[in-house]
Formats: sequence, C-alpha cells, structure tokens
Amino acid sequence: MSDRREREKRREQRLREESKVGSGERRARLLQMGAGAVFLAIVAVVVLIVVNSSGGGGDPSNLEGVAEIEAELEGIPQRGLVLGDPRAKVELVEYGDLQCPVCKQYADQILPQVIENQVENGQAKIAFRNFAILGPESETAAAAALAAGAQGRGWNYLELFYRNQGQEHSGYIDDDFLAAVAKGAGVENIADWEAERKSKKLTAEVAASFAEAERLGLTGTPSFAVQGPSTDGLQILGTPGSPEDLESAIEEAG
Amino acid sequence: MKFPTEGNLRRVIAFVAALGIGVATYIAIADSGGGAPACLAGGGGCEAVANSSYSHIAGVNIAIFGIVGYAILLLTAFFVNDLARFAGFATALGGFGFSVYLTYLEIYTIEAICQWCVASAVLMTILFLLNATRLIGYAGTIPGQLQEER
Repeated sequence: MSDRREREKRREQRLREESKVGSGERRARLLQMGAGAVFLAIVAVVVLIVVNSSGGGGDPSNLEGVAEIEAELEGIPQRGLVLGDPRAKVELVEYGDLQCPVCKQYADQILPQVIENQVENGQAKIAFRNFAILGPESETAAAAALAAGAQGRGWNYLELFYRNQGQEHSGYIDDDFLAAVAKGAGVENIADWEAERKSKKLTAEVAASFAEAERLGLTGTPSFAVQGPSTDGLQILGTPGSPEDLESAIEEAG
Repeated sequence: MKFPTEGNLRRVIAFVAALGIGVATYIAIADSGGGAPACLAGGGGCEAVANSSYSHIAGVNIAIFGIVGYAILLLTAFFVNDLARFAGFATALGGFGFSVYLTYLEIYTIEAICQWCVASAVLMTILFLLNATRLIGYAGTIPGQLQEER
C-alpha cells in the first residue's frame, strides 16, 4: 500500500516538474484567466454592494393600494386597532409586527377572507396588538398605527403599511413614510397624529402589548389567539396557515 | 514548503463540497416549508435572513444556487484535467464572491446573521482557497495521466 502511495507521489512530482517545463504556456494562460476572473469577481462584488447601498427604501409619495384598502374596510366599524362590530361575540387577536414580512403575507392573503366572511357580518372582530419584536423601527411603526387608531383609521393604517412594507431594517420607516401612510389611510388630523404617535402614552402602550405577548408565551409574529363564549379566556392559536383555519377557530369559539 | 498533492487537494475539496451540499440543502428545505413560517423573536437571524427579499433570486431560493455550486465543485474534484481545475476555481471564486456579498447584506442591510449562511460562506471560502491552490499548483500538468486509483 505504502509502495503504491510512494509511486503515486513520485509520479505526481514528476508530472509537476514536467508541467513546469512542458506546459508552461498552457499554465500561464490558465493562470492569466484565473487572475482575470478574480478581477472580474472583485468588480462584480463591489458593484453589487455599491448598487445595494445607494438604492432601497420605499417611495413615500407613491403608496400602493390606498383606494383598494379604503374600499375593503369601508362600512366596517373600527375603534383603536379593533376592526368589526364591538358587540361581536368572538374576538380574534393578532399579535403582529409591522416590519414582519410574514405578517404582511397574512394581511395581504389570509385576513381579507376572514374579514369578508366573519367580520363584515358581525360574527367576529379582529384586534391587532403590536408585538414589535424586530426592534426600534417596529416600535415606531406600532405607535404610528395606534395614533391612527385614535382617529378611527387604525386598520386602514395597518393594511396600508403592510401593503407598502419595505425591506426590514432598511431605513424606509422614516417620518415621511409614516406620514404618507397616515394620509393614505385617511387620518384626518395629521398634526394630532404626529403629536400622539410620539407621546409617552403610546410608547407605553406599545411596551405593554409587547409584555402581554411575552406573558402569553408567544415567540413570533404573527401569532393569533381567539376569545369567545366557548373559550376559556384567551385561547392561543399560534400561527394558523390558512384563512380556513382561522375561520374554523372563530366558529368554534362562538 | 511542501506542496499538497493534487490527490489530497481533490479529496479535501470533495469532502468540503459534500458538507456544503448538506448545509445548502438544509437551508433550502428549512425555507421551503414545514409548518407555517413565522418571524421569531430573539436569535431569529435565520428567519430575518430567510424572509428578506435577498433570499430569492427570480423566485429561486439562493440556497438552490448554493447546492448547484457545491455540486459542480464536487464534480470537478473527480476529474484531473485543466478544465476541471479551472471550472473548480471559477465556480469557487463565484461562490466566494457571492458569499462576500451575502455576508455584507446580512451585516449591513438585513442586520441579522444566520449561522447556516455563515457556515456556507466559511465552506465556500475554504473551497476557494483549495481550488486556487489546485489551479496554481497544477494548472498545465498533462491531463489524463493522473487518473488516480481508488
């Protein structure tokens, strides 16, 4: 065995030696190509990084879905961040983070069906509670939504925010973006909204709903819970994967 | 300095590439399903990274590109000729450059670190060094004469 290995080594050694003399040109060409490829790779990475760092962010003056969301929520009562008839027997609670892309998917694809089938007819109401797990920008956004809720436009704010959600932590959540969403959501008194979203009261409220979610043992967003005549207090649902799952949970709670 | 034999380099390249396939496959599977996805609080770097828009290119999870890249690298370890040497080097260089870019994104844009992505970046860096060593040390050696036994 070791003989064979020795032989193999010697052969490789010999071939290496030969290569240095015999295939010098071929070798030089390959190494040149290699160096060229390294150069190209460096340029490509630098360009990608430069392009990435100079772009990004949402365009606050160009929100999507303003009219659509207005139409979807029209006629449904809302108070604070609770959507639906206040006397509805069943309350579905969503613990969400405005920066969370999965919450956006729920807002865009899952909740509209629940709203149409069970909230519009007064069977259930949906309460959004801020669980701002993704950092200070999420907290700022959470307070902005609460301030919109104080003027009866909380759900318009939430939905419009999700519809125009940007890349998390990319810095798109600035004063301009938040104000653009407020205007698009139909918040009437922007000056009041501005003052309120920065108030200690709302900052405390954001912290309180965070603490509540943690107390319930929730670890991620969106997390759902339901409360109704057939449940023993607030019943945690976790993150049901389809509108049907949420609808049947509401049925069972009623 | 004692230069590693090409056989040894190829064996290590094959081993590291196989590990890379494992890591990239795990990321792809974890991303593609298994219950409802959720953004996790605390230590949720992988969720933040996986949920970011950078995790897919043209709808394809970048881990799939990783699997393909590692598979090519594994394949090149089985051949002893300049094409394999150069293809291995070029693929590892591309993978390494892409890993640098992704790590930059994780740190400065997504602001979340996913340990699986870091693992892949480390493996790709090792593969780049190994393939660069192989190309520099053995480019131009006569093809076809080093068909190793085993």
